[in-house]
Amino acid sequence: MLRIENLTKVYPTGTVALKDVSFQVEDGEFLVVIGLSGSGKSTLLRCINRLIEPTSGRILWDDIDITAANAQQLRLIRRQIGMVFQQFNLVKRSKVITNVLSGRLGYANPWASLLGIWSHEDRQRAMQALERVGIADKANNRADALSGGQQQRVGIARALMQEPRLILADEPVASLDPVLAHSILQYLEALNRTDGVTVICSLHFLDLVHRYATRVVALKDGVKVFEGLPKEIDRARFKEIYGEEAEEVRATAVEVG
Amino acid sequence: MSVNQAVSSPKAARSPLVAALLSLVIPGLGQAWQGHLARGGGVFAVVVSALATTIWYGHATWYIIPAALWLWNVWDCLRMPAGAPAWAAAILWLSMAYGIGWQVTEINLLALAQNGERAASILRPMMRPDFITKRQNRTQYSVRVQVPCSTNPPRAQATINGVTITASPDCVTVGENILVTARGLQPNFPTEVTWVTPTGGVIMLGENNAKMLTLNSDEQGNLTVMFTVPTGIQASEEFVQDYRIALTQVETLPGYEISPNGRYILQGIYETLALALLATALGAVLALPISFLAARNLMGGNPLTYSIYVLARTFLNIFRSIEALILAIIFVIIVGLGPFPGMLALTVHTTAALGKLYSEVIEGIDPGPIEAVRATGANWAQIVRFAVIPQIVPSFTALTIYRWDINVRSSTTIGFVGGGGIGFFLWQWILLGDYRAVSASFITIAVVVIIMDFFSAQLRAQLH
Ligand SMILES: Nc1ncnc2c1ncn2[C@@H]1O[C@H](COP(=O)(O)OP(=O)(O)OP(=O)(O)O)[C@@H](O)[C@H]1O
Ligand SMILES: [Mg+2]
Repeated sequence: MLRIENLTKVYPTGTVALKDVSFQVEDGEFLVVIGLSGSGKSTLLRCINRLIEPTSGRILWDDIDITAANAQQLRLIRRQIGMVFQQFNLVKRSKVITNVLSGRLGYANPWASLLGIWSHEDRQRAMQALERVGIADKANNRADALSGGQQQRVGIARALMQEPRLILADEPVASLDPVLAHSILQYLEALNRTDGVTVICSLHFLDLVHRYATRVVALKDGVKVFEGLPKEIDRARFKEIYGEEAEEVRATAVEVG
Repeated sequence: MSVNQAVSSPKAARSPLVAALLSLVIPGLGQAWQGHLARGGGVFAVVVSALATTIWYGHATWYIIPAALWLWNVWDCLRMPAGAPAWAAAILWLSMAYGIGWQVTEINLLALAQNGERAASILRPMMRPDFITKRQNRTQYSVRVQVPCSTNPPRAQATINGVTITASPDCVTVGENILVTARGLQPNFPTEVTWVTPTGGVIMLGENNAKMLTLNSDEQGNLTVMFTVPTGIQASEEFVQDYRIALTQVETLPGYEISPNGRYILQGIYETLALALLATALGAVLALPISFLAARNLMGGNPLTYSIYVLARTFLNIFRSIEALILAIIFVIIVGLGPFPGMLALTVHTTAALGKLYSEVIEGIDPGPIEAVRATGANWAQIVRFAVIPQIVPSFTALTIYRWDINVRSSTTIGFVGGGGIGFFLWQWILLGDYRAVSASFITIAVVVIIMDFFSAQLRAQLH
């Protein structure tokens, strides 16, 4: 169970990106974070594995206080939290397999990994991860030779290498077309359902939220304005989260017609 | 003008006359007072810079320009808000800048055209670069002669490969005549006769000792010659030394070979390439750590690292701005002539130049992969190894290759000040007026640079 308590983030520029945000995530949930651009979704996800240092508040994972961890403890925590990014964040010039293996750095022998030496098990694990996302044949291609959807699958394979108990996905499908969006989210859903990995994912399109979320947290200007089930987001709630002028846009073209 | 006034802004409501008076006192003040701050500043800068330039140059005639600009500035105030035509001021200012610039650089186009004969005397030999010569076979026979005579001088006779040379008398003093006979030479063949000092210096025996004395052997391969022992040599009165008389037959063979100067050129270009390579490698190694310190995205974090960043940047900027040539002069003074000071100079310059370029590469890397690798629980070294290095290695390699390219070119000029390499030979040949060797060096340098250019471009293209 992940507990966010009174989380606040103020950037050095003075921007208050998160203001006193509290909520809980049970193990096995597929929690979706929604909100307008600039509402603080990325900041929230990055505070959880402390890629961004929270200004105040606590984040508790079972009985571990992530916010209190020192550098060494933080690395041990991070290696159990997979992360998937909107821009994939692959090393473009490196091979796909190298990108995937880098997900194992938190477990590997530091010296061997610096020399690029990986254990047989790690290599096998990497191939299995690639097989799982269906691109094992691309293992030796350069990452930038892949399409966007394939790159995001590499991103998921990299997260898989961490044997994560939690996956943070920051708008994992915002750079992809609607069909690919579903295929990527289905991988995350499968991890969530069959492996029991907790997923916290920020999304833009409400139809995707309805389709995949088990629970929703909505942010507006850094404040939590909604927490509940996807079906509870009715027109009034929608206007509250996205503002009066907002119209619902659907990610999947077929559903509009 | 009336149209301009019709649409005048409230700013221009202030009296143009007062503004003109203000501008008469201080250029630009009137414009500023009328609310045109930027224009006022610009006018001030134009007039003051013109004034400063003419004062520095010190020729009274040129004062007409700042004076005219000063008047233009008053006129400008009177014509607000449209103002006086800016092109008038621009023409005035530029005519001063170019005029003074022309005189300062002493441009003399006539000199280029007038000395055609001098140019031709240089260009003609340059059309025949001294790089290869006809293949030759030089055979030399010599006999020892004592100068001056000892109490019991040995016979001045020697037999080498069937050729016997005899000199008489057996020993001489400077200015005496000596008779040389040789038997067994190649018959009917031009033979050079020279006087060789104990240290190996060759003195020609032709007219005024400035021309080669060349005689033909007869049908039997015999040769007899009488000459005066050259007076120029520093023979002592009592100290007996062995001089030699040398007979050289130069046989021209079919085909060509590299001339002696050509060999110097090859040695020089090899030295140049090697010192450029060494300087580039050393410079790259030194630039590497500095570049990380000079990268803002890595060092901007806290005040301490930021001040290190500022220091590293300053260091790089200072040494980058000093020409390698000037560094070479300094190092020649410190460590003496040769390729070593040239290499040191190039190394320092390369370190600074590459350090700056490397740091710019580091500043331009994509932070995304760094974030992603950090999120996996990797430590600092692992992040650098997996997210930073793969991003920078191709650019670093390309920049380094390109730098080697540049260094080859600049090490040719560094040789001019004694920094070794082909430039050193080139400089000697220019001083000696050996323009055939000069043009051969030019061609060699050009060919090497073009080849390097080609391959470095290929290599760099591969790295993308
Ligand atoms: N490094 C930073 N420095 C200063 N302000 C920042 C920084 N990163 C984000 N912000 C600000 O914090 C607020 C929240 O940003 P955040 O990126 O978390 O929003 P988001 O919901 O992820 O938006 P988007 O949907 O556009 O990704 C924004 O106002 C943003 O401008
Ligand atoms: Mg975001």
